[in-house]
Amino acid sequence: MTAVTDCAQILLPTNLLPLAALGLLAGQSADRAFSGTLLLFAAGLMVGAIAIAFAVRDPPASIALLALAAIAGLLVAVGRPPLPAIRLALAFGSGAALMLNVPPQAATISVAIAAQLGTGLAALAALGLVGLLTMDETRNWQRIAVRILGSWIAASAILTLALRLVR
Amino acid sequence: MTRAFLALILSIVATPAFAHDIASAGGFLAGLAHPVFGLDHVIAMVAVGMWGVFLRAPALWLLPIVFPLVMAFGGVLGIAGVPLPAVETGIAASAIVLGLMVALAARPPLWVAALLVGAFAIFHGYAHGKELADDANALAFSAGFVIATGALHLTGIAFGLLARWPAGRLAVRGAGGAIALLGLAYLSGLA
Repeated sequence: MTAVTDCAQILLPTNLLPLAALGLLAGQSADRAFSGTLLLFAAGLMVGAIAIAFAVRDPPASIALLALAAIAGLLVAVGRPPLPAIRLALAFGSGAALMLNVPPQAATISVAIAAQLGTGLAALAALGLVGLLTMDETRNWQRIAVRILGSWIAASAILTLALRLVR
Repeated sequence: MTRAFLALILSIVATPAFAHDIASAGGFLAGLAHPVFGLDHVIAMVAVGMWGVFLRAPALWLLPIVFPLVMAFGGVLGIAGVPLPAVETGIAASAIVLGLMVALAARPPLWVAALLVGAFAIFHGYAHGKELADDANALAFSAGFVIATGALHLTGIAFGLLARWPAGRLAVRGAGGAIALLGLAYLSGLA
């Protein structure tokens, strides 16, 4: 695998769902909260990358991502900004779990580092984009649409989480 | 900006077309098709949307937010194999009751409507949850399934908005009656 195909793993639904939910949640909050979410998410990505460097093997990262997507989606559906600590914890957890869920498959260290860097930047860009687009949705029906999206994300994540944990 | 937002969401829910077996493209489309091919589910979902129009805000927009979540709870019960009696009867009853509510243009208190729709959502979710398969596409399938359900609600809302005009109101209420009759046919085993 090349660094590019490694980075492409971020496009898998398990990785995109928490990103979308967190982006919607951050976008629902104020401008200042948005930058804090991005910062904690970046910190989580770094911690995840360091954990991989220390050869943390087979963490239940996909389960954690689904759980985080379900929580963030529920909070978006509720439509009231949660406590900052909750949002920041979700951001940090999502970043770390995301990085752990896409370990680089590259044969050399330099390609692996490039893959992790690319994955992290792509995740940050996607989160920022969803957040900015959500902040732009100020009309009443647009805010309702965001809440409906949050509900759909939570429902999808809950169903898949149940499948993974029960069967 | 709204178009860009919609494009982004669509790109998020789409299954990436990797050449190898990271995830096959079938999951999302299969999930999308799953609720659409069960007429008993379709008519109940559309009826929820139509009833929402008669109930007006905030029920109109609360139902599409709450229904998928309660349905997911029902799905979890189905996946976990928790016994739930008379599921098919409950699904047929949902078409009868929701169809009647539309036909009568009923406007009960919000909590009564939420309780009714929530109870039926559990039956629908349970039935789908039992059929969900745990494979690499489970999430894409679930997302497709939830979006299709939401799209059926929106279809019902769009059709229900015809009730703003006298002739449209008659058509919507007539459709509600037809849904109730179909539900009765399912319950009696005629359909």
